[in-house]
Amino acid sequence: MIPAHRDPVVIDEARAALRELRARSRSLTLATLLTDDGFEIASEPDGHAADGRLPSMASSIQALADAVAREVAIGSGEFVIIASSRGHVIQRRVPGRPIVLAALFADDETLGSALAATRLITERLAAVAPTR
Amino acid sequence: MAEHVILFAGPMGVGKTTAIRSISEIGVVSTEADNTDRETADKPTTTVALDYGEIAVGEDEKVRLYGVPGQRRFSFMWRILAERAIGMILLVDNSAADPIADLLAGIDDFRELIDRGGAVVGLSRLDAAPRPTVLEHTAAIAAAHPGLMIPVIPVDPRAAGDVRLALMTLIATIEMRDAFRPEEAR
Repeated sequence: MIPAHRDPVVIDEARAALRELRARSRSLTLATLLTDDGFEIASEPDGHAADGRLPSMASSIQALADAVAREVAIGSGEFVIIASSRGHVIQRRVPGRPIVLAALFADDETLGSALAATRLITERLAAVAPTR
Repeated sequence: MAEHVILFAGPMGVGKTTAIRSISEIGVVSTEADNTDRETADKPTTTVALDYGEIAVGEDEKVRLYGVPGQRRFSFMWRILAERAIGMILLVDNSAADPIADLLAGIDDFRELIDRGGAVVGLSRLDAAPRPTVLEHTAAIAAAHPGLMIPVIPVDPRAAGDVRLALMTLIATIEMRDAFRPEEAR
């Protein structure tokens, strides 16, 4: 099976999903779709995932969040929010897939609308991305 | 209670998670993800943030065991975890393509921690690949880093006794260096 970050079909779908996220969220600064083990599948703007560091860091954060959820037995993690004074990062797993969305929004985007947009995109991508 | 942080470092697939599981007295917290890089290490999952275990040393001391991801793209985790550590067990797979290069790269990557605390090199899979020998690894360290004292011992990450021995060797190394450190540097 071709890894998601090398599968041209998955990469095309990921790019389309990120373009849609950009269209829905004008304050989106940066977004990347990554494999669970931290490889970039696609980014928006294209090629701006900070030399691969954002996918790697997002992978670690997702794994730590999942580990905490396991430890305190609250089921599988749905999303992760990093809120700061000038914006927020939302991470959300593509349901049932070993793929994670990490999206950085400026502070003029409400958290609610950012969460709604990322949810829509990840659910849509789940329909076309390969399963584990 | 005194607490000490020890890192387990080394290339992907060398056995860091296994070594921590071998000796931890608590259920190990792992952050494993599906491994899509099967060319580097043919195993189904890989650590992407850390492994965490603990062992008690006497009644008043606890050793926290952190395994770091082996892939260089997670090097930011190396720095985060090394800041809290007092020493490191560097695992090297002797059956890898170039174990001496892995050894020297690991020393370079964690040099600040080694200078501040200490390190032990655990050579794994010596049964499958007896060369380079322990002495050849020691000579490589001496040639690349004259004066740097890093014990090299065989370690099977699956064998609790081997991993405990590496840990005790590391603690002895750190204590010895502390004892000889100038008073003002302690």
